[in-house]
Amino acid sequence: MTESVSVEQQLAVQSIRRFLKSKTSYDVLPVSYRLIVMDTSLLVKKSLNILLQNNIVSAPLWDSHTSKFAGLLTSSDFINVIQYYFSNPDKFELVDKLQLDGLKDIERVIGVRPLDTGSIHPFKPLYDACCKMIESRSRRIPLIDQDEETHREIVVSVLTQYRILKFVALNCRETRHLRRPIGELDIVTGGELLSCNMHTPVIDVIQLLTQGGVSSVPILDNQRRLVNVYEAVDVLGLIKGGMYNDLSLSVGEALMRRSDDFEGVYTCTKHDKLFTIMDTIRKSRVHRFFVVDDEGLLTGVLTLSDILKYILFEEN
Amino acid sequence: MGNTHSRGTMSDNIKDVSMVDVSSADESNKRGSQRAIVQSFSKLDIGDHSESQPPLLRRRSTLIFDDEDEIPRHEENVGHRSELDVSENPLSGSSSSASVHDNRLPQRGSDVVFQQQQRQGSDDSAFQQHHLQQQLQQHQQSPDPNSVLSPQQTSPSVSRNGSEPPAESPKTMVPVEITWQQGGSKIYVTGSFTGWRKMIGLVPVSGQPGLFHIKLQLPPGTHRFRFIVDNELRFSDYMPTATDQMGNFVNYLEIASPAESQDQLQHPQLQEDLRDGEIQPSPLVPGKQQHHQASPLPLTTADQKLNENRTAPEPLSARSKLALQIEEEPDDMGDGYSRFHGAHETSPLYSYITDIPAVFTDSSVMEQYYLTLDQQQSNQQSMAWLTPPQLPPHLENVILNNYSSASEPGDSGSENNSGALPIPNHVVLNHLATSSIKHNTLCVASIVRYKRKYATQMLYSPLQ
Repeated sequence: MTESVSVEQQLAVQSIRRFLKSKTSYDVLPVSYRLIVMDTSLLVKKSLNILLQNNIVSAPLWDSHTSKFAGLLTSSDFINVIQYYFSNPDKFELVDKLQLDGLKDIERVIGVRPLDTGSIHPFKPLYDACCKMIESRSRRIPLIDQDEETHREIVVSVLTQYRILKFVALNCRETRHLRRPIGELDIVTGGELLSCNMHTPVIDVIQLLTQGGVSSVPILDNQRRLVNVYEAVDVLGLIKGGMYNDLSLSVGEALMRRSDDFEGVYTCTKHDKLFTIMDTIRKSRVHRFFVVDDEGLLTGVLTLSDILKYILFEEN
Repeated sequence: MGNTHSRGTMSDNIKDVSMVDVSSADESNKRGSQRAIVQSFSKLDIGDHSESQPPLLRRRSTLIFDDEDEIPRHEENVGHRSELDVSENPLSGSSSSASVHDNRLPQRGSDVVFQQQQRQGSDDSAFQQHHLQQQLQQHQQSPDPNSVLSPQQTSPSVSRNGSEPPAESPKTMVPVEITWQQGGSKIYVTGSFTGWRKMIGLVPVSGQPGLFHIKLQLPPGTHRFRFIVDNELRFSDYMPTATDQMGNFVNYLEIASPAESQDQLQHPQLQEDLRDGEIQPSPLVPGKQQHHQASPLPLTTADQKLNENRTAPEPLSARSKLALQIEEEPDDMGDGYSRFHGAHETSPLYSYITDIPAVFTDSSVMEQYYLTLDQQQSNQQSMAWLTPPQLPPHLENVILNNYSSASEPGDSGSENNSGALPIPNHVVLNHLATSSIKHNTLCVASIVRYKRKYATQMLYSPLQ
């Protein structure tokens, strides 16, 4: 790699960072958009149907008694419920009648650290929103404003890492100067990744998701070649019909529940340029790239937060 | 390499779909229910949505109208009545709504009518009807348009055919002749008087090809209707037209009970108005009660005959008489319009009470009340009171419904649009839309402005 490419990349990252500081979360929102909110007294199993019906994987919650924002419902909530039910199979009645405001109790019982539900005002700089998202382990951040008259909270929207990176890819011409290969940038998570094979029971894979704090587990064959991926959002499809009856399935069988419009698994090599990665983010709904070598062996994973951290904090 | 996923440079084809040979059968179900929810949004019916009749009724009438989109509007005219066609356009525009208050239009309208009359000597009382109506609408305080029109006038064919005026009936039903004179072989009429369901066949008039007629007994009020000519929905060019709530072009008739129509003729103000609107007075129509100056000669004489048969009314002031008449007429003029009540029209006989009438408190009394109303209406639209009022047309377009159609399978990027919606029309802002209640869950949605953007928030909530 020549010196000029590195310099160009450094300048480009700094320029993108200035862009993030100059824009607000509000700027990312479309002119007209929908936002699906759920009342906290809704049953968990019904909230699942609503997510699937609307083709979304997360929704802000609303406490109608206090008129306050009450956190985000995400796939990790359902994973918690699955784990709770798996270790307490006698509590079917409780799980069946569980309301969204009971999810915190489940978290406490199974001992997971609750996700930090940090929120931000829509008119704060986008850069601040990104930093806050990285600090909390969450992949999304709710935008909360106050009503001018009643001073009550308004859930304006929810930003995800993907939306922000797509916004950057769409609006920053500087991304084309990010020509250094990702292998050089020390942003790929390598080493011994959590993984499973097609015959691993799906409940074990779900446990891997929570233990590792990851959003997906790669599925490898005997030669450690990448065959598929089990994502946290796949649990929504797993439990959509009869709740929690199919936890004995293997992960391969569980993948049969995936919807037809699943986009596939995105892979890259360590020689790919960051610009190519950003361009793929612009075009497709992708949440992570699996880094493979020439043999198709899995060598690492590049997540959206890896990319975001690089843009926010590196190349000073 | 035995592996299936692509590798190498990042490009479009890196998206590896080949591994995803699994499919979920439930997917189609999911879509179905998704669509169902969204569709029910457009109906905006809270409560029992499932099999109740009201939405169906409306749908059906909509369906009838939908067919006629392909019909060219004025093509029929061009052939045999080109002059009329020219002059009709400004008129049909001005009369398309029953509450147009444009001071310019009547002037133009009467102008046109006069030219028409001088050219043709006699024609088309439809024009005259427009004309009168517009005059009247300028003076909102004064009386409703329908009462001016005697039953003969409402049926243009009467004057055209030179047939005798229908006998004056003291009953509420008024005989009305409806004619179709634009050809065809099988002619039916359908309209609000049959609930847009039944079709009434028209009989060909012997010796006059292309002319069909039927005599109907209709209650006073506004009737909207269309003709079905050889399985094609059409409207007559010889009768007043208007756009109804669904945006369809329909013919309409306003029928007053015969007794009322006579008194109206005495209205001095009305006569003045009519003169104001004229360019030149017509030499054909002298006499003190000729508010029909613009009308063709045969019709005028028919009216005069009618007037002679009646005893002269009491010398009450015209306005007070009108006020009395208006009291008797239904406030609902159809199409969502209701009568305007000026302060002077309120009856001094009424007084305020502190008790809530049982109709509003006791559900059984309420039901009885509505059943009685239903019987009194004696219309085919039984249980019409069960039908919720129709939405104004601009609220029918729910942008959330557009969203679902955009996210049909095959539309790539539907997943990728971060919930973006079309920009809503400002009139739909701050309205509450609801889904039907399914599985004890209610979804309400509302579009609000957030700064310079539009947030469509959908809240799912259980019924407590």
